[in-house]
Amino acid sequence: MELFWIFAAISGLGLVGYAMQILAVRSHLARQENRQGSGVAHPDIDSWASLEFTDPISVLKPLKGLDDNLFDNLESFCLQDYPQFEIIFCVQDRNDPARKVAAKVQERHPDLDISILVEDCQIGLNPKVNNLLPAYRRAKHPYILISDSNVRVGPDYLRAVIQPMRNPAVGLVSNPIRGVGGRSLGAIFENLHLNSFIMGSVCFLDRFLRMPCVVGKSMLMRRIDLEAAGGLFAVRNVLAEDYVLGRTIHSMGLKVVLSEYPIDNVNHYWSLRRFVNRHTRWGKMRWCIGGFRYLVELISNSVFVSWLSLLFWGPTGYTVVLAGAVSFLKIAGDYFLARRISAGIPSWHFLFSPIKDLLMGILWFAPLLSRSVTWRGNRFRIGPDSLLQPWRGRPATHAFGWTAWLSRRTTVSGRL
Amino acid sequence: MLCDFHIHTTHSDGSVDLPRVIDLFGQAGFDVIAITDHVVDGDNAIGKLGRFLRLSVTEKKFGDYMERVRKEAQRAWDKYGMLVLPGVEISKNYISSDRSAHILLLDLKRFVPASWDYERIFLEAKRQDALVVACHPHHQSDPTSKDTLFLWNNRERYARYIDAWEIANRDDIFNVISLKKYPYIAGSDFHKTRHLYSWKTLLDCERNVKDVKRCIRDNRGVAITLFRN
Repeated sequence: MELFWIFAAISGLGLVGYAMQILAVRSHLARQENRQGSGVAHPDIDSWASLEFTDPISVLKPLKGLDDNLFDNLESFCLQDYPQFEIIFCVQDRNDPARKVAAKVQERHPDLDISILVEDCQIGLNPKVNNLLPAYRRAKHPYILISDSNVRVGPDYLRAVIQPMRNPAVGLVSNPIRGVGGRSLGAIFENLHLNSFIMGSVCFLDRFLRMPCVVGKSMLMRRIDLEAAGGLFAVRNVLAEDYVLGRTIHSMGLKVVLSEYPIDNVNHYWSLRRFVNRHTRWGKMRWCIGGFRYLVELISNSVFVSWLSLLFWGPTGYTVVLAGAVSFLKIAGDYFLARRISAGIPSWHFLFSPIKDLLMGILWFAPLLSRSVTWRGNRFRIGPDSLLQPWRGRPATHAFGWTAWLSRRTTVSGRL
Repeated sequence: MLCDFHIHTTHSDGSVDLPRVIDLFGQAGFDVIAITDHVVDGDNAIGKLGRFLRLSVTEKKFGDYMERVRKEAQRAWDKYGMLVLPGVEISKNYISSDRSAHILLLDLKRFVPASWDYERIFLEAKRQDALVVACHPHHQSDPTSKDTLFLWNNRERYARYIDAWEIANRDDIFNVISLKKYPYIAGSDFHKTRHLYSWKTLLDCERNVKDVKRCIRDNRGVAITLFRN
């Protein structure tokens, strides 16, 4: 029974951690609201607030395949209220269906500086960086904005995201991600996770721990800083190119800033398999980067921990109340957070929140069993600091000896 | 131009409603699509069941159906530059596959009952300058889909009325169409979002109804492609 109370305490601790994440998100977004209301600027740009800062930006959009709402996502960058910017869509394959969508967007906005690059660059192992490199070489403006194809932004996005750059001490600006849409189970799970764990963690690290946390879906840098950090070439062989770039720029003595401007990640028709694949990959990446700090993620998954007690001791009064209460509080927290960030998710989606957390609890163990990841059709093995290595079948050594034993057993059984 | 001429919505047995279908195809960069909900033959038991389950466009609902398609077609054109043709799939279903046939009528203006005999349907389609397409005319691989072989079995009699045959439908290819050198197109027979990734038609013509129909009828500048993400 004592062990049960330990589980209950860990669940409680997880909920406290989640409450702090909610506070972090509130405080982060309140900063924007206060600024809009009172004219007080971002702490990093206070002294520059009187200037209208709209330096030219090169927007690099790596495309591969059809993301949900791709047309709207791409077009949202054409509708920017910004004086001078260029958009470079880059694809690696001429037959990629995304190229046609980009061409349609270009056709609808003939007055804008839009180009579409088709180049199969294979300079490294990171497919996104391979796709980006030709566009990076072609970019002509002093600010480089790398933006994923699955994000949609408002017309004031460029104007908002560049403001922290008024301060020369700022080297990189990224944005919090808000999951919107959801017409399939995988998409519902994805949006719930983006709006709770990802949004909460990013704001928590930024506000309370002052740790540079970069989300690669939107990264704005000065070209000169990026060149000093080794350019995109320096991150061609890592999976977490966003994290490594942020860390390098931070180590150069520049600030990494999380903008208050949330950008939408539209997810409508995700399959459950895609959700599992992405979060297994991200889990492995965080394990390779964070090491034993990755354990905190399991402890902070209060729903999973509370349901473990139900699994270990069966449905007793204590375990049922614990699992039920924690699940209810998590649903309430997710609902509150989504309302706070105006994600526009239907209320009934939040009923899936505990199921998603249970699934995430199971997926947490994936990095302990394997270091291979599949990303956009490519399979890799990831090493320390998310360094990619080509996958050449089952590796000779595993992270743990027992997984090697297990794999040998599986192979033998398979033969039999 | 990337085209799909065989799409169902919730107006019949599709699972995606019309505005979402338009957005799904528009967001994916399509140039021309046709909305072709079922019109079932209400004179037989299978058709009666289909009507009872509201899986068919009826004469009564046809005006509303066309109005909605026209409204969405305008939105598709304004937003995506995508041409949307209104149409139906005349569905003559019987227990025997040899008696069953499905026919796409594209750019249809007035209702055509599925209970009419074939000649009358084809002649009415011609009167309305609608395009006539024989769909999934041969054996299909999907065990849940029932074969519709009547038109193929009676091709000598009916081929002259048919503007094009579906040489590929969703995941199937009907090589007999190629062997007979009949004019062809391909379509997804879209019912669910995952059917977006299937066989499609490529047309080399201007993006307007007249040229699209002429291109298919002449069957010049027509190709098919397996659309994958």
